[in-house]
Amino acid sequence: MLTSIEPPLLNPPQRDIVDMGMLHTGFNCVLQLPTGAGKTWLSEVAIEHALGEGFRAVYLTPLRAQAQELLERWQTRFPGVTVGAFTGDTKDAKNPVSFEESRVMVMTPERLDACTRNWRSHWNWIPQVSLLVVDEFHLLGEPNRGPRLEGAILRMRRLNPFLQVLALSATLGNRSELANWLEGIHYQNDWRPVPLTWSIRRFGKAADKPGICLDAVSACLKQGGQSLVFVVSRRRAEQLSQMLVQSGIAAGHHHAGLEKAQRQAMEQGFRKGELKVLVSTGTLEMGLNLPARQVVLYDLQRFDGWDFTSLSTNTVWQRAGRAGRRGLDPVGEAVLLAPAWDRQAERYMQGNFEPIQSGLNDAKALTEQVLAEVGSGLCRTREQLVRCLAGSLGAHQKRLPQLGPLIETMVQSGMLTEVATEEGGKVRLKATRLGRIAVRQMLAPDTVLRLATHLTREDAQSLTFLDLLLLAALTDDCEPKIPADFEELDELSAWISREPSTLLQGTQEEVLQRLGARGKSLLTALKTALVARAWTREGDADKVGEDFDCYPFEVRRLSESLERVLSAAVAILSTPPGDESDEPTPVSDEPDLLSKTKSLLGMVTHGLDEEAITLTFIQGLGGTLAKRLKEAGIPDIEELAATEPCQIARVKGISLKRARQWSGEAEGLLKERSAFSLRERDRAKPQVVSDWPKELDPYRLRRSLDLKVATQGAGWQVTGGLEPHTVCTPSQGTLTCDCLDFAKGHPCKHLMAVRRHLKDPALLKLIRTLDQYTRDGGLDLFQLWFDRGRP
Amino acid sequence: MSHPTTTPSALETAHGAIPFPAYIPVTTFGARYPLDDLIRPYLPRLAPALMVSYHYAKQMKVRPELPLLIDSGGFASLFKGAKIRKQGGVGILKIPREDGGEDILTPSDVLAFQEANADVAFTLDFPIPPSMDAREAKQRLELTVLNAQWALENRRSRTLKLYACIQGLNFDGYVLCAKELVKAGFDGFAIGGLVPRVSDRKEIYRIVEAIRTIAEDRPIHVFGLGKPDLTDQLFSLGVQSVDSSSYVKLAADGRSWKQPEITLQDATPMERLQLALSNLAFAGKRNLPLSACLSLAGGN
Repeated sequence: MLTSIEPPLLNPPQRDIVDMGMLHTGFNCVLQLPTGAGKTWLSEVAIEHALGEGFRAVYLTPLRAQAQELLERWQTRFPGVTVGAFTGDTKDAKNPVSFEESRVMVMTPERLDACTRNWRSHWNWIPQVSLLVVDEFHLLGEPNRGPRLEGAILRMRRLNPFLQVLALSATLGNRSELANWLEGIHYQNDWRPVPLTWSIRRFGKAADKPGICLDAVSACLKQGGQSLVFVVSRRRAEQLSQMLVQSGIAAGHHHAGLEKAQRQAMEQGFRKGELKVLVSTGTLEMGLNLPARQVVLYDLQRFDGWDFTSLSTNTVWQRAGRAGRRGLDPVGEAVLLAPAWDRQAERYMQGNFEPIQSGLNDAKALTEQVLAEVGSGLCRTREQLVRCLAGSLGAHQKRLPQLGPLIETMVQSGMLTEVATEEGGKVRLKATRLGRIAVRQMLAPDTVLRLATHLTREDAQSLTFLDLLLLAALTDDCEPKIPADFEELDELSAWISREPSTLLQGTQEEVLQRLGARGKSLLTALKTALVARAWTREGDADKVGEDFDCYPFEVRRLSESLERVLSAAVAILSTPPGDESDEPTPVSDEPDLLSKTKSLLGMVTHGLDEEAITLTFIQGLGGTLAKRLKEAGIPDIEELAATEPCQIARVKGISLKRARQWSGEAEGLLKERSAFSLRERDRAKPQVVSDWPKELDPYRLRRSLDLKVATQGAGWQVTGGLEPHTVCTPSQGTLTCDCLDFAKGHPCKHLMAVRRHLKDPALLKLIRTLDQYTRDGGLDLFQLWFDRGRP
Repeated sequence: MSHPTTTPSALETAHGAIPFPAYIPVTTFGARYPLDDLIRPYLPRLAPALMVSYHYAKQMKVRPELPLLIDSGGFASLFKGAKIRKQGGVGILKIPREDGGEDILTPSDVLAFQEANADVAFTLDFPIPPSMDAREAKQRLELTVLNAQWALENRRSRTLKLYACIQGLNFDGYVLCAKELVKAGFDGFAIGGLVPRVSDRKEIYRIVEAIRTIAEDRPIHVFGLGKPDLTDQLFSLGVQSVDSSSYVKLAADGRSWKQPEITLQDATPMERLQLALSNLAFAGKRNLPLSACLSLAGGN
C-alpha cells in the first residue's frame, strides 16, 4: 500500500513547483536547483503520483552508490511497492528483483540504454512507465556517458509516448534550450538551504598549496565544521589526507580506486563526524548526500587523459554545492585554491554555467547510436534514421555530423548492410553480424571492428594471450585504463620481454602501424594488458594492484570490462549459425584461436591461469570451483584426473558423487587434450629496449636539450623553461638547483643542462643513446613516452 | 435527437464500467498484426474497453486489464467458400481452411468462449451486404435471430452482458430484425453490416434512428464504424458505443486524423504506434498527457 508522502516544510523552490503543479501537468520538466534544495523530495512526489495512477517510474542516476542509497530509502518510503536497482552491479545486489516486478526502477543511464536497445525483451514494463526522472541531467554533455544517455532518452520517448521526463540538475547553462528539446517547461531557483560564501586563496608555487589548504581546513574545524577537499588525482587525495593526518587532523580519502567497502567506510566516518576532513577526487561531486560546512577545491584543473585543463564552472559548482549542512551550518564555505597569476578563478564565482552540448557531434558516438537504432529494429532506412535523429538534442543544437557519409562508412566497414526489399526495390538497412555483436554487447562499433580486423587476419591463429588482451585494452570500451608512470617503464619493458607476443614483434614502427596506436595511449594499453594478464595468473586483485601500482578495485573493474570485450571477440570468432561445416575439425595440439579466446574469457572472468581454466572444460565445473580446486592443490585437469575423488570431495561445495564424476570426465578429456595445451611455449618474445640507466631520467634529459646555460658568478643561470633557475655547486662537485623538481629529490632538467654545458662525457654519451632509441629496432617504451602526438 | 433520455450512462462489467458514449478500439492477438502488440499495452490509457473478434480472442494469452468485448466471428461468413447451415435450430458457419479442412463455428462454441473470457458478448450473426440476393439474405436474417435467441436462453454467466446482433438487407430488414429481438431480455443490441453502406450515411442514420426507437432504453452498439465525424453523429443519434480498427489501419498507412493532409511514408514501427495512439485519442476524445500530446503531434 502506498502511503502519502508527508509534506515537509516546503522550501521556496519546492513551494513554487508544487503550487504551479509542474510535476502533475504532464509536461516534461527541467528543474535547475542547487545541491541540497530538495530535488529528491520533488522526485518522490512525482514518483508517488505515477504510482498512484497505476504506472511505474524510472529514476536514472549515474552513480551506482546513489542507486543503492535510493533503493534503501524508497523501500521504506514507498511501503508495499517493489523497488529495484539496476546498475550492472549484480554481484553485490542485496535485493535482486526483475524489471517486470519493479514498480520503481533505479537505474544507471547505461542500463536504460541496454533496455531500450533490447526493447522487445522489456515490452512487459516499458509501456507501463509514466515517469522518467533523469538526475544529474548535465551528464548529457559528458563525452563518454552523455551520448548513451541521450540515445536512451531518445528511444524511451519513442517507445513510450506517454512518458513524462523530469530532468534535474544544479548546473545547466542552457536550461531553456534543453526544455525546448524535450518540448517541456523549465524552472530555476538559486535558493539554497544554507547560503554559500566564496573565497579564493592564492598560491605562488605549487609547494605552497598543502599549507594553504591546511590553514583553510583548520579554521573551519576550529568553528566545529567539517571539510571536503576536492583534488585532481587519486594519488593526491591519498597524499594530502596523509599530510593532514600528520598535522593532527582526522582525515580520510575517497576515490574510485578504493573498494566499495572502503569508500562506504570513509563516507560513514565523515557522516558520523569521526573524520573531519575527506579528501576526494570527483567521486563525491555528484549524487551522494555528504554535505560539509566547507568545500575546498584544491585543484582547479583536471587531467583529460592527455593534458591538464581548467575545471568547468559546472564542475566547480557541483563540488562547491556540497558546502553547508542544513540546520548545522549558518553558511557554507567554498574555498578555491588558485595560482597568484590566474585571474580567471573569479569567473567561477559568478556561476555562469556552461551550456550542455550533445555528445552526438562526435562521429563515433553517433555511429554507435545509428547502429543501436538499426540493430534494435527501430529504424530500417536512411530516411527513418534522419527522422528519428531529428528528435535528438544533437539535431536540436544542429551539432549532428552528416548522416549520409556516416552511414556510407558504416556500410563500407561492415557494420551495416543495405538490402533491396522485394516490394518496389526499397533499400533497407540491416545490422551485420558484427553490428549485432556491438549492439548486444553494448560496445562501440569501433571496438568490434578493431577486434574483427585483427582476429580475422591470416596470421591471427598465432595471437597470444597478451596479444588478445592488448587488442581489448586498446579499445574505447576497456575501462579503467591503467596508465604507466615514467618510473616504471623499465619494469614494464622487463614484463613485456617475458611475455610471448606476435603483435609486438618487429621494429617500433611496424608495431605501431600494426596496432594503430602510439605514444602514451599505447603505453597505457600495454600496462593495462599486463595487469589483466597478471590477474589471470594471480587471481588476487590485491597482489596485482601492489605489483602494478594500481588499485585492486581497478583490477576487478578491468576484469569486468574485458569480459564484455572478449565476449565480443568470441562472438566474432564463432561460426555464424547455418555456416557450420561438415568437415571434421583437424586434430591439433595447439588450440585454435576461438578455443583460446574462450579460455581467456574464462581466465579473465575468474582470475584463473591457462592451466586452471582447463578444469572448467568439465561440464558443471565453473570458475569459482576451479579456483577452489586450484587453491586446494589441484591446479589443472590432469591433476584432477590423478586425484582420488575422496580428496577432491574435501573441497567446499563438491560432493563425493560429483568428485567421482568429474574425475572420470577429466580422464576422458585428457585423451583429447593436455592440461598444458593452452601454455604458450616456443613463442617469440618481443625485443624491448630497456637498457637506460636508472639514475638518469631520459624524459628530463630530452627537455634539458632545449635549455640555455649562462655562467652567473659561481654558478649558472638556466633559461628557456617557464622561469629562469640557478644551478650552483655548494659542495664538492655536487650540483644543486633552486627549482621545485630538484627540491623533490629529482635530478632536474636544469642540472642536466649544466652538465651538458660542462661537457660531462657520461651525459653526452647518453644524449647520443637517446637519439639512437628512435633508430634501433624493438619496442621502445621510452620513445612511446616521448611521443608527443595526441592519441 | 429522438433517442430516449433513459439510456444508461455506462455499462457495468466485471472488469469495470464502460462509460458511454464509448469509442472502443479493436485489437488482435497472434502474429498477424504485430502493430497491435505494440499498441495494446497503451490502450488502458486511451480506451474504456477493448473489442476482439472470436478468432483472434482464441489466441489471447494474457487478458488485457480492460473490459473485453468479444464478437462472434460471424464476419467470416463473407469469406470465399464459407457456408451457413441451419442445424439443430440454430445457424452454424463452415469456413474452409487452406489445408483443405474446415472450421465450424456454432453459437454454442462462441457463447462458451465468451462466457469464459468476455465482459460483453455478441451473438453469432451473419452480415448481409446490400448486394446480397434476397433468398440468402432472408436465411441469414432468420439464423441471426435464432442464434441470438438461443444464446439468451443458454447463457449461464450472470455477469456477462449479452448483446443481440441486428442485421438486415435494407432498412425494413433491420427494423424487422430489431423488432424480433427487442421482445427478449438482451442487455443491449449491436447493429452489424453497416460498413458496406458507409457511402450512404443518410441510410445508416435512418437505420440507427429506427433501431434506437425500437430498442427503448437499452444500449446500442455499432460494429466497425470508426471515422470520428461519423461516430460523433452516431452518438448524437443515441448510439452508446462503436468499435473500429480504423485508427490502426490509418496509422499503418502513415496517416493521422489529426493532420489528414500529411502522410508519413515508410513509417517506423514506433511512428505507427504513435500515429495509432494519436488517432485513437482523437476519435475517443481523450485527453493525453501534455508530453504525449506534443510528441504524438510532432510525430518524432
